[in-house]
Amino acid sequence: MTSTLTENKIPLITLVGQPNSGKTTLFNYLSGKNYKTVNYPGSTVEYSISKILGKFSINANILDSPGIISLIPSSADEKISVDSLFSHPKFGKPEIVIVTVDSSQLSRHLYLVKQLIDANFNVIVVLTMLDILRKKNLDISEIKLSEILGCKVIKIDSRSGKGIKDLLLSIKNSISETNINEELFPEMNIHNQKEKLLESYRHIEEIEKEVLFYKEPENGNNHFDINEVNKKLIVLNSIRLPNKPDNLTLKIDKFTLHKFWGIIIFFLVMSVTFTSIFWLASPLMNLINDMFSLLSSGSEVLFGDTLFGNLISNGLLNGLGSVLVFLPQILILFLILGLLEDSGYLARGAMLADKPLSMIGLNGKSFVPMLSGFACAIPAIMATRTISNKRERFLTIFIIPLMSCSARIPVYVLLVAFLIPQDKPWIGGIALSAIYIFSIFSSLIIASVVNKFQEKIIKESDNSSFILELPAYRKPKLSDVLNNTFKNATQYIKKAGPVIIYLSVFLWILTYFPNTNPQVNESGKSEKEISELKNSERIMTSYASSLGKIIEPVMKPLGLDWRVGVSLIATFAAREVFVSSLALIFKITDEGDNIQTSILKAMKDAQIENTGEKLFTTATTTGLIIFFVFAMQCLSTVAISRKETGSWRIPVLQILVFSSIAYVLSFLTVSGLRFFGIN
Amino acid sequence: MRTAAELKLGEKAIIKDIDNTHPSSHRILEIGFTPGQEIVLLTKSIFNDPIGLSIRGTIFAIRKNEASCIII
Repeated sequence: MTSTLTENKIPLITLVGQPNSGKTTLFNYLSGKNYKTVNYPGSTVEYSISKILGKFSINANILDSPGIISLIPSSADEKISVDSLFSHPKFGKPEIVIVTVDSSQLSRHLYLVKQLIDANFNVIVVLTMLDILRKKNLDISEIKLSEILGCKVIKIDSRSGKGIKDLLLSIKNSISETNINEELFPEMNIHNQKEKLLESYRHIEEIEKEVLFYKEPENGNNHFDINEVNKKLIVLNSIRLPNKPDNLTLKIDKFTLHKFWGIIIFFLVMSVTFTSIFWLASPLMNLINDMFSLLSSGSEVLFGDTLFGNLISNGLLNGLGSVLVFLPQILILFLILGLLEDSGYLARGAMLADKPLSMIGLNGKSFVPMLSGFACAIPAIMATRTISNKRERFLTIFIIPLMSCSARIPVYVLLVAFLIPQDKPWIGGIALSAIYIFSIFSSLIIASVVNKFQEKIIKESDNSSFILELPAYRKPKLSDVLNNTFKNATQYIKKAGPVIIYLSVFLWILTYFPNTNPQVNESGKSEKEISELKNSERIMTSYASSLGKIIEPVMKPLGLDWRVGVSLIATFAAREVFVSSLALIFKITDEGDNIQTSILKAMKDAQIENTGEKLFTTATTTGLIIFFVFAMQCLSTVAISRKETGSWRIPVLQILVFSSIAYVLSFLTVSGLRFFGIN
Repeated sequence: MRTAAELKLGEKAIIKDIDNTHPSSHRILEIGFTPGQEIVLLTKSIFNDPIGLSIRGTIFAIRKNEASCIII
């Protein structure tokens, strides 16, 4: 394939590299983090693109491609990454390919370099991780390597930025020299054969021997000793190239992968992660909630109790609040996950989880996405992209909505508070943990059942594989981690944001129309109370309530009525909306800090119309909790599941399967409890 | 015929061949498990699977099933 450099097309530099080769650090350095993250058209593969920072005075685009091991793809996503490297659908063929090579793993990383050179790319090799190589008393001659490979080779220390100048200079030279009419050879089939591959490696091993040399530790002792020189020669001759993993890493692994301590550490890390997500995020979430109720009442003051004012405060601001309220949890989750990943622990976690997860058709790599699901299903489903096996990836996506996401917490807190005696709040903590454990076990059971019927449900078959590099432990690089956290957070806002906001407006329409200006008895009431009564009256006579009455027969077996039905409909925007819509429906006029007490009181008094039976009993409330554990109520999750699986089949099945399970189990719980005399 | 899946903890071995009938064999070759290389079984996960093998200075966690295509 050929492309021509027209005047308006600026050169494209693509960064390629194996995972953990320092590629992203280099990209961040060159782009100054002003990048856009875009999907490859029609796929879930993502790349970041940016112009090279102005201060480097190179007019070129730089593209950070997903990490690849070789040009022969082994999964669908890898194939897209490789194809786009040869000819990007939007940017075409790269003028320059920069490959990052971990010098301490020279032979393994040179394999990709060789493939790229064979494919006729204009390659610049960047050698990283030289500090690790020097710890092994070795150094590398970039001049020799450049001679042998026939391409530019530059050493870079990504921490100090040393070597960047040389890299910029070679990029400049390469751009001016580039013969863009050179043809690429995407037919890498030749490498597909075992013999060719082994030959490549043999060649690489020879290169390795020529370019690596023994370097005495810098102890300032330049004294020449004939014995020392002899020793060096012996080392060089019998060169046992750096094939021993980092010593400290081996020592740490003795604990982290230990049969007993490994599990203790694993659960400790998980508990700390969870506790931090909930405890650190909760003050921030309260702050965001407070800010939005302030904005909401501000807009009410500004626009009055008008259609427009209501649209702003109850529709738009409510929706925006529902999006942003989860941002602290998502930020903290990705910050911790990033730190764990960068330090090297996450790969061990995935390794420990692989066996148990593979027994139910999942993969060790499902572990991190499932963990993320406890904060929010949306980033969790996006995180499944690292699972190369499509069947396992789809199965992971399938069960993620069952992870107890943070939107369920306010609902559980309210319902549990209703169930437990008020003077014993500690029971509430136990009950909440029990709900979590219950949801984890149920999701695992459902996963194994789905796995049994996978031909009907998942409809993908692939070679199940778990091959994961266990990187050397190291101090996490905070700037990279923060950068990645930020990237994930913006993705969440971009992807979930619009859906949640549209839905909030739509639900607002359902609850506001047709009785936009209801009449209420205003005598002896304050302005605030009147407006709250109007709100309640409006929702009681709204489309939502008509809808609720339609579904009442469905709610009846669960011991619930149309009012709870309306609240359940409202939860399709976001689950936590359940609490505020209950407040609306039960005409809670006492807004403020003791709203929960007011709702609880209203719940205790609520009766089913006609029969006079109590609406919220131990049985029906427990049933509701069970319902929330399973029901697929979040439409943003449905949307993201559709996007990531590429069809409606999985999301539709999720809605059908999870909603039926929720309904049936809730019904069984209510009838069972009643059977045993618990009402 | 022994395979890497049968290594004992801490045991070293030289790779003789890779069984290319295994669907993961190509990826295993690509990441550097080539004949003649020394591997060491460094760690095992709980339930003894996956296992951690060192190759060319790196540790890889690999399922036993996949390690069984590494002939030693």
